[in-house]
Amino acid sequence: MRNPLVKRIPKELASDWHKYLVIVIFMVLMIGVISGMYVGHDSMIAAINRGREELKIEDGSFELSERASEELLEAISSGEKADVRQYFIDKGISEADKEVAKAVEDELQKQVRTTIEDAVREQCAAYGITDEQMIQEQIDSAMEAQYDNALKEARNSEEFKEAVEDAYEEAHNAVIEEVDEKWNDIEDQYGLNDGDFHPVQITIYEDFYHNASEDNDNDGIEDATVRIFRKDSEINGASFIDGRAPESESEIAIDRMHADNVGVKIGDTITVDGRKFEIVGLLSYVHYLTLHENNTDLMFDAFGFDVAMLTGEAFDDLPSRLHYNYSYMYDVKPADKIEKADCADNLLKSLITQTLVYDNEIDDFLPEYLRQASNFAPTDLESDSAGTSIMCYILIAVIAFIFAITISNTIEKEASVIGTLRASGYSREELTVHYMSMPLIVTIAGAVIGNILGYTAFRKMAIYLYYNSYSMPECGIEWSPVALVKTTIIPLLLMFFINLFIIARKLQLSPLKFLRHDLAKNRRSKARRIPAWSFLRRFRIRILFQNMPNYAVLIFGVIFIELMLCFAFGLPDSLNHYGDRAADMVFADYQYMLMRYKDEDGNIIETSEPTAERFSSTSLLYPKTRSSVIDGMGSGGDESVTVYGIADDSTYVDIPGDLASGNVYVSSAFVSKFGLKNGDVITLHEEYENKSYEFTVAGITDYDGGIAVFMNNGSFAEVFDKKADGFSGYFSRNEITDIDAQDIAVVITTKDITKITNQLMHSMGGFMDIFKYTMVVLAAALIYLLAKIIIERNEHSISMVKILGFKNSEIGSLYITPTAVIVTVFSVISFVVGYFLMIWIFQAVMMQMDGYFAFYMTPVSMVLSVVYLLIGYAFVSVIDFIRIKKIPMDVALKNVE
Amino acid sequence: METDFLKISDLKKSFGTGEARQEVLRGMDFTVRKGEFCVLLGPSGSGKSTLLNIIGGIDTPDSGYISINGDKLEDMDEKQLTIYRRKHLGYVFQMYNLIPNLNVKENIEVGAYLSDKPLDVEEVLTTLGLQDHKYKYPNQLSGGQQQRVSIGRAVVKNPDILMCDEPTGALDYKTSKEILALIEDCNARYGTTVIMVTHNEAIKNMADHVVKLRDGVVRHNDINHNKIPASELDW
Repeated sequence: MRNPLVKRIPKELASDWHKYLVIVIFMVLMIGVISGMYVGHDSMIAAINRGREELKIEDGSFELSERASEELLEAISSGEKADVRQYFIDKGISEADKEVAKAVEDELQKQVRTTIEDAVREQCAAYGITDEQMIQEQIDSAMEAQYDNALKEARNSEEFKEAVEDAYEEAHNAVIEEVDEKWNDIEDQYGLNDGDFHPVQITIYEDFYHNASEDNDNDGIEDATVRIFRKDSEINGASFIDGRAPESESEIAIDRMHADNVGVKIGDTITVDGRKFEIVGLLSYVHYLTLHENNTDLMFDAFGFDVAMLTGEAFDDLPSRLHYNYSYMYDVKPADKIEKADCADNLLKSLITQTLVYDNEIDDFLPEYLRQASNFAPTDLESDSAGTSIMCYILIAVIAFIFAITISNTIEKEASVIGTLRASGYSREELTVHYMSMPLIVTIAGAVIGNILGYTAFRKMAIYLYYNSYSMPECGIEWSPVALVKTTIIPLLLMFFINLFIIARKLQLSPLKFLRHDLAKNRRSKARRIPAWSFLRRFRIRILFQNMPNYAVLIFGVIFIELMLCFAFGLPDSLNHYGDRAADMVFADYQYMLMRYKDEDGNIIETSEPTAERFSSTSLLYPKTRSSVIDGMGSGGDESVTVYGIADDSTYVDIPGDLASGNVYVSSAFVSKFGLKNGDVITLHEEYENKSYEFTVAGITDYDGGIAVFMNNGSFAEVFDKKADGFSGYFSRNEITDIDAQDIAVVITTKDITKITNQLMHSMGGFMDIFKYTMVVLAAALIYLLAKIIIERNEHSISMVKILGFKNSEIGSLYITPTAVIVTVFSVISFVVGYFLMIWIFQAVMMQMDGYFAFYMTPVSMVLSVVYLLIGYAFVSVIDFIRIKKIPMDVALKNVE
Repeated sequence: METDFLKISDLKKSFGTGEARQEVLRGMDFTVRKGEFCVLLGPSGSGKSTLLNIIGGIDTPDSGYISINGDKLEDMDEKQLTIYRRKHLGYVFQMYNLIPNLNVKENIEVGAYLSDKPLDVEEVLTTLGLQDHKYKYPNQLSGGQQQRVSIGRAVVKNPDILMCDEPTGALDYKTSKEILALIEDCNARYGTTVIMVTHNEAIKNMADHVVKLRDGVVRHNDINHNKIPASELDW
């Protein structure tokens, strides 16, 4: 026989459908939104990785000033360094030979002429001819008759040959001597004296492009720069989000994100390099997930920069300069970042030397692992999941909480039934299974619907948000184990165990206790004394005392709600706050990072700007050993730390000039994130080398813009083995105009910081709105459930006071007022608790990301987060009042459980 | 009737400690024979419900023991006690404690499920006069009807002992007599041993065995040789 108690479950569902509906909506929304975020995230990452494989992303690229010869390409492919010494010697000898040959010929001709002339003059003298004119005539005729033969003869003479050989030898020796003399400088310049060098074999592909002008509204004014690639390129393919590849000379496919931003679509015509093209496809190039025009751009520009595809014929017809860009693939893939860096390093040596010996020039060299346009989005995607993680943790806590109170409420309500069933012989296990089935079914239903929505509607929403920010490839549905574990398995397990714990613990009580409704562990033996207030007031206080455990639950709920509201309001506030404080995030109004500190001629790059101050910098990693608090989805790994060498008496960074070597100042962001203090020893290590450095924290510099360490320039040069006169760039109060743009790697101004936060707001804005409204809905649902429980638990008493003749308004004031007072008082207290809890959670989540920004709420948001809760409660109390009115009097009279 | 089916021996039970200590059972001895209709009679506080609870294995004595068919309850662990209740006992309370969201038939099935030898549910419904109400929910029934259901839930198990704790305590005169007649019928029809706790003196007249309790001890332990049917009771 099937356990007849099973029949209760659908009935229970039907009878209390609104409660379960709220719980299911709660679960569906939370699980749906969060799993949508995770699934969207994982699908996007998978699509990116699949794209890298299928669309054959390069391992790197280099651009030459001229088209490379077959020989040069072959030489670069071999990965071998060219023999630069020999090249210089050969080049020197070849030049020297030309000079020697010319000098020897000139000398020989001069000598032959002199010999002939002398012989004629001698003969003329013997014949007594003195007329100079006659002598000259004789010389000319002798020259005509004998010069060629004499020259020939002289050339064949042993004497001459010897002399020539000597001249060549001398010249060659001079060349070799000169090359050898300068060899150290050459070696140094090209990094040729590297004992660890090993050839890296690569396969090279032409990936030529034009940087053309794009006029997308055909008004004759250039709107953007468009980088155009050939359709038949064998490398760096594109994924088509819409439409197709161009097939005729008048067709073009452009970047989808750019098209969205500038408002053009398939079928529109745009002007490129003065020619009209019809847009037939919207694409995402595998190496342009973000539209970074230059790798040194701090932020991408999807408005002013575009990438596009043309047919080979149309491409060849473009008038703009052709960029000889070559992409390469390693024949043996490097395993990790360190190997990638090593390969790139060796390849660059080969490239520099080979282009040199083949008389070509490198305009650009960019290994893919450093390529912003293909790495920015995936890295940024990682940090996007921070918000999702926070939401996930709150979800788990809230769900656990809801079920804990729901279960204990159910058990209390059904105490007599449980007592009777136990007395009749139902075992604890049977009843445990029975009481666990309901919440489990509800959670499973919520989880299933939530996951379905997560994989469909909410995933689309997440993907849409990503498309809103980046030029992402087409994205399929990707199975996300993380989403399943975090949004479904953990809540299910949590619920299972919370249920098991509470039910099993409650069912430990004897059947008799259940029958007597004696479920409390400790019962007060004496009633509390209450001052002689008015009767109703004392009654209210009694209700308050009597419902203490329920109010404790309500208070916990209010804390959760405030936590959720703090998150909903605080996240956008924190981002805005970060943007507003952009000025504090930079050391100077202008920060110039230079490509090198000496120009091509070896002169130190100087400026006449009086406020300019040199600094040095390098990037190291700090291990996040303290981040084990929460295991989230973030990038994890190590924190990137910028190490600055600061000029003594710097006007931009306040550190003592006499800071001892090995002592450093750290940025306030570093201190906030990792809880450092003076005297702490920090160990930083190189990312691509097995090398680490120890520093002692000697002080804190007020700088929230990043995780940074400061030391004196001298110490910097010493620690990192740099030249004493070396530096990385300039801080300046004013714009520096006298440094060649080619020498500047990047300029950071407050505007750039604002641009970053704006981009962040643009990227995350959608997420945050969803978070905000989900949180507000969930907060309302939670307070509804909690208030419902209090009224339900008091149903019997309410019914009884109704029988005694109390009016509904009086009962409302008796049962709703205490709740209202509790909610109001504790909404303020809970806000404080939620606020600090949020700061703590934020800190823990920041650990999984690089960089730091603190949790911040504006005073308006603080007030709103309390007001929202109170408005929510006001609605709920109206529902409560209706509920009280509906409680029939026979509840107290009828002996019905 | 067999002798000594249920043996209660020197049973003691107290509640509270120190000055508040109250001895509820102060050494109780009697036996109940199989198939007997036994009434435990006494005023409030005489310990009859506590005794019933101990017999039912849902409370434990401080000393003394209870044995059923020679098996001592004190030797049983929690699991064995559950099996004991499941196999041997049916419970009827003054409060009916029906499951509100199961209908009449289903509430009776809750009892049938526990038994290896359950009675036919339909037959029980007929016996209890609940056929017309079998699809109704508890809150659609009168108190008497609910108590019938609660009796049905207990007897459908075909228990060895039917424990009734003031089954008519909340019912009117007429309904009470109907309920008592039903219990009497079950006793006669299925040979179920009935132990009924009541403070209603009149009910002793329908019992085979009357145990009168006062202040935690047995004052009278009588066999009623002149029992009358429930329908003839009057109070």
